[in-house]
Amino acid sequence: MLAPLHSANTAQVPVAHFSSEHSCLSIDHLSLAYAGKAALRDLTLSVPRHRVTAFIGPSGCGKSTLLRAINRLHDLNETVTHSGKITLEGQDIHDPQTNVTELRRRVGMVFQTPNPFPMSIYENVAFGLRLQQRLPKRKRDDIIEWALTSAALWDEVKDRLHRSAWQLSGGQQQRLVIARTLAVQPDVLLLDEPASALDPISTLKIEELIRNLKSELTLVLVTHNMQQAARVSDYTAFLHQGELVEYGPTDQVFTNPRLQHTENYITGRIT
Amino acid sequence: MTPPRLTSSRQPLRLLQDRVATGLITAGGVGVLLAILAIGVFLIWETLPLLAIGESLALAKLSPLAWGTLKAALAALLFAIPVALGAAIYSALFMSARLRTRIKPALEMMEAIPGVVVGFIAGLILAPWVERHLASALVLMVWLPLSAGLAGLLWQLAKARLQRRLPLSWAGLWLIPWLALMVVIALWLAPWMEQLWLGGDLRQLLDQRFGMDYATRNALIVGLAMGFAVIPSIYSLAEDALADVPSTLIEGAQALGASRWQALWKVALAAAGPGIFSAVMIGAGRAVGETMIVLMASGNTALFSASPFEGMRSMAAAIAIELPEASPGGQTYHLLIFAALVLFIFTFLVNTLAEVVRQRLRRRYRQMGGTS
Amino acid sequence: MKAGKVNTASRRPRFNWLNDLWPWLCAASVALSLLMLGALLALLLVRGLGHFWPATLEEVTLRSGDTFAGHAVREVELPQQAGDERLYFTGNQDIEGARWRWVTIEEIAERAQPTDLIRLERSPWGDFIGRLSAIEQDGQRWEGDAAWHRLATLLALPASQRQESQLLLTTVDGQTLRQPLASVVSAQAPNAMSWWQKTHVWGDGVWRFLSEGPRAANTDGGVWPAIFGTVLMVILMSVMVTPFGVLAAIYLNEIAHQGRLTRLVRIGVRNLAGVPSIVYGVFGLGVFVYGIGGSLDEWFFSDTLPSPTFGTGGLLWASLTLALLTLPVVIVATEEGLARIPEAQREGAVALGATRLEMLTRIVLPMAAPAMLTGVILAVARAAGEVAPLMLVGVAKLAPQMPIDGEFPYLHLERKFMHLGYHLFDTAFHGEDVQAAIPLVYATALLLVLIVLVLNLTAIFLRHYLRRQRGNEC
Repeated sequence: MLAPLHSANTAQVPVAHFSSEHSCLSIDHLSLAYAGKAALRDLTLSVPRHRVTAFIGPSGCGKSTLLRAINRLHDLNETVTHSGKITLEGQDIHDPQTNVTELRRRVGMVFQTPNPFPMSIYENVAFGLRLQQRLPKRKRDDIIEWALTSAALWDEVKDRLHRSAWQLSGGQQQRLVIARTLAVQPDVLLLDEPASALDPISTLKIEELIRNLKSELTLVLVTHNMQQAARVSDYTAFLHQGELVEYGPTDQVFTNPRLQHTENYITGRIT
Repeated sequence: MTPPRLTSSRQPLRLLQDRVATGLITAGGVGVLLAILAIGVFLIWETLPLLAIGESLALAKLSPLAWGTLKAALAALLFAIPVALGAAIYSALFMSARLRTRIKPALEMMEAIPGVVVGFIAGLILAPWVERHLASALVLMVWLPLSAGLAGLLWQLAKARLQRRLPLSWAGLWLIPWLALMVVIALWLAPWMEQLWLGGDLRQLLDQRFGMDYATRNALIVGLAMGFAVIPSIYSLAEDALADVPSTLIEGAQALGASRWQALWKVALAAAGPGIFSAVMIGAGRAVGETMIVLMASGNTALFSASPFEGMRSMAAAIAIELPEASPGGQTYHLLIFAALVLFIFTFLVNTLAEVVRQRLRRRYRQMGGTS
Repeated sequence: MKAGKVNTASRRPRFNWLNDLWPWLCAASVALSLLMLGALLALLLVRGLGHFWPATLEEVTLRSGDTFAGHAVREVELPQQAGDERLYFTGNQDIEGARWRWVTIEEIAERAQPTDLIRLERSPWGDFIGRLSAIEQDGQRWEGDAAWHRLATLLALPASQRQESQLLLTTVDGQTLRQPLASVVSAQAPNAMSWWQKTHVWGDGVWRFLSEGPRAANTDGGVWPAIFGTVLMVILMSVMVTPFGVLAAIYLNEIAHQGRLTRLVRIGVRNLAGVPSIVYGVFGLGVFVYGIGGSLDEWFFSDTLPSPTFGTGGLLWASLTLALLTLPVVIVATEEGLARIPEAQREGAVALGATRLEMLTRIVLPMAAPAMLTGVILAVARAAGEVAPLMLVGVAKLAPQMPIDGEFPYLHLERKFMHLGYHLFDTAFHGEDVQAAIPLVYATALLLVLIVLVLNLTAIFLRHYLRRQRGNEC
C-alpha cells in the first residue's frame, strides 16, 4: 500500500498528504456555495493515483457536492459560486485554458440512480466515443467490447447489444453506465453512491468491479454505507457540514480514528 | 487489453459548434418571443391616431359593440357555468374512475369542434327551430333540471337491486337516454301546454302583450351555442381543481358529521374556489373573443337591448366583417384595431389573473401535502 | 378511493331534498353535455352522409290537378294548427324557374314512386327530375329502356370520348326539353335501384364530393379546392411554426436564465394561447398584409400597382398568421416535454464530455420528440378549424387558380386560396340558394369536424403513449 508521505497534524485536521508524483487530484482550499448558502468550506485534500478513495459523511455533508465540483457539473447551475483550486494531474480545472468537455471526458462520473440513455446498449457505450472522434466501426466495436468487459457486463449482454438499455436490470444498468464512462478512457472515475439504488447482489458486483478497476484508473467513491467504504476503499475522507474532518488510510480511519467526532460517526452514534 | 488512446482532434470544432448553436438558439428564441410581444406593440401603435379623433365618436361606434360582446358572453356563461361546474363536481367527486378516464377526454373533445361548425348549426338549424318552437325551447330549459331531480327522486325510491345496477357513479352515462326521453316528452307536451295556458303562440303573446320583438338569431341562440363551446374549457379546469383537493379534506369533513352537501359546499368548493374562479375566468375570456359563433348566430345588429330575444354585434364579429373593407389608415380601421386591442388586453389580463390564482392554489395544496 | 362516494347502506331515513338531489343535477350536467355532443355529431353524420344517398323520387298529384316530381326534404308545422307543410326539391330550374316547392299535406291527392323517374345532374341549371323519352345521335334514335341503356353507356365513357348527342326529356306535367349530352354530369333512376346500387351511388357521391370542385355558386359539386387549400396552408404553417416553436421552447427551458423574467415570459406565452384568434388576424392584416406586403409590392411589383400582389390577403400571410397563432401551443407542449426529461439524462450526457449542443441534439431532443409532435398536431388541429383570422388575411369564396400549378414558380404564395371552414361559412350565409347548399354545408362541416377530431385524438393518443413510456422508466 502507498503510504502517506506525512500525516501531519496541520491545524487540528488529521489529513493525509501525497507527493505530487502520487497525487492524481488535489483540492486546495475549496469553498462552494449554492445561492449564497455554503456547502463546502475551505476543503484541502489530495487523492492518490490508482487507488480507491472514499468520501463518507452524513447526508448533506457535501460529499456529492465535492464530487460534482471535480467534474465541473456545477457549471450547469448558475447559482453556484466557488473559491479555491482543484487540480487534475497538475492542471487547474477552472483555468480558462482548460477545455471543460475534455476535462469531463477525463473525469468520468457515475450517478446514484442508473441513467442509461434511451437507446440500445451498444449506442449507450458508443455515445461518448462518437463525441470524441470518428472511428472505423471495427475499432469502435473493439473499444465497446473492452469497455463492457472491463465493467463485467460483456458476457451478460453480448447477445443483445442492440436491445434497449432500459430493459436491463438496475445493477446491469449501473454497470452499463460504468462501461459507458470507461469507453472514453477517463483518468479518474467518480462514483456517487453507485450502489444505493441496487439490491445486495448487484451491490457486491459493483464493489468487486471497483476493486478491479483500480489498476486502470483512479477512483473516488461517495457512499453513506460505512461497510462499503471499509470493503473497497484504500483511503477514506470523513466530511461533516462541508468541512473535512479526517482523512487517512481506511484501516486507520475505521479502526483507530484520531478524532472523537469520526469515531462517533463510524460507530453510528451520529448520523 | 487496452485500446489505443483516443485523440481529441475535434475539440475546438465541437466547442465552436456549441457556441454558435447556443447563440442561434438564443437569437431565435428571443426573436420568437419578441415577435409575439410585437402583437401588443402593433395594436397600441395603430390605436394612437385615435387620440386625434374626438372621443365621443369612438364611443358612439364602440359602445354598442362592447354591449353586444358583454351580452353574448354573459348569455354564454349563464348557460355554461352551471352545466360545466355541475359536470366538474360530478366527475371529480362521484364518477367512477374508469368512466372518468373516458368521459374527460370526450368532453374535452367538445372544445376541438370548430366554432364555424357550431355557428352553422346554431344559426341555420337551431335558430329557425327555436323561432318556431319558442315555448318548447323555454319549457325544455326548466324541464331538464327538473327531470334530473325526478331521476334522483325515483332512484331514492327504487329497490336496492336496481340502485346497484344503476349506480350514481355511472349516472353520467345512463342518464343520457333518460334525458333524451324527457326531451321527447317535453317536445310532445309543450305545444299542447302552450295552447292550454297561453291560448296560442308564445311569440305572438310576447309581441302583443309586452311589445317584445323576436329576432331569429338572438342572444338566446348565441348563449346556447357559445355556451356549448365554452363548457369544455370551464369543465376541464374546474375538474382539475376539484380533483386536486386532497381527498382527506372531504373525508375528514364527513367523518366529523358533515352531510355530503355541506362537505361539498364548505370544504371542496371552498378549497378549490380559486381554481374554479380561474376556470370561469378562462371561459369568460374565450366567450368574449369567440368570433365565428357570434358572427353566425347573432344576426349582427348593433343594438342596445337587454332582451334575450334580440340580436347583437360583438367586437370580434365587427372586426371580422368590417376590417377587410376598412381602408388602412382610415378612422374605422383605427377604431376596429382599438377594439382588437381591448379584446387583447382583456383576455390577456383575465388569463394572467387565472394563471396566477391557479399557481398560488397549487402551491397551497403542496403545502398541505396532499397531491393526489 | 374517491372522496364522497355514495354509501347506499347508510341511507338516511328522511329524504333530504338538498342533500340527495344535487348530485343528480351534477350527473345530469355530464349527461346533458354528452347528449349535446352526441346529438351534434349524429346530426352532422346523418345529414352530411345522408345527402349522398339517392333519394326516392315521388310523382305528386295535387287536388288542383297539378302534378310535379321531386323528393321530399322536410316537413314543417303551419301556424295555428293548420296542419303540416312539406318541402319538395323539384329541380328543373330552367323550366319551372324554381327548384323548391312547398305544398301543404292536405293539398296532396296522390303520391306515386314510378321507377322510370330519373334525376339528371347537369351543369348549368342543376338537377333535372322527370322522364327520359329518347336519345338522338347522328340521326339514330333510341327510345324507352334502350334510351336509358344508351345514356348509361355514354356516361360510362370519359367526358372527352362521349359522342355529341341530344336527350329528349319530359317533365311529369308534360313539358319537353332537349338537353345536349355535354352538359349532363350524371344520371340515375333512384326508384329502380337496388340497395346495393344505391350504396354504390352513395360511395361515388362521397368520392365526387371530396375530389371535385364546387359548381353552381357552391350549391353543388365538391370541396376539393377547399381541402387542398386547407391542407396546403396547414402544411406551410407547420413548416413555419415547428422550428420556431421548438427553438423558443428550447431557449426558455434549456438556455435562458431561470429567473423571474423567464417565469413572466412563460406565463405570457401561455396566456397568448387564450388571446382571441381574431386579434391575430388583425395583426396579420396590419403587419403582414399592409405592412410587409405593401412594402414588397412597392419594391418588387411596382409595375402592377395599384393592384396589389403581396399587399392583399394570400396564402403566405394566412399561414404566417396562423403560425403566430399556434406558436404558444407548440411552445407550451414542447416545454412540457422538455421539463419531463429527467435531469439525470442531461447530467449523464454532460458528464461524458458532451457539449450542450450535443446533449440537446443527441439526448434531449429525441426524448422530447413525441411531445413536440403532440404540440404540432394540436397546432394543426387548431389551425384547421380556425376561420376568423383567415377572413382578414386571405381566403376566397372561389379561388380562380389553385395555389400550386404548373406555372413557374409552381407554388404561388401570394394567391388567395379556399378553406374548408370559410367555405362552410360562406356557403351557409352568403349563398344564393341556401336551401340547396345546406346538405353540402353539412357534409363540409362533417369533414371539417372529422379532420379536427382525428388530429386531436392522435395528439391525445401520443400524449398517453408518452406518459406510459415515462411510467415504465420510473
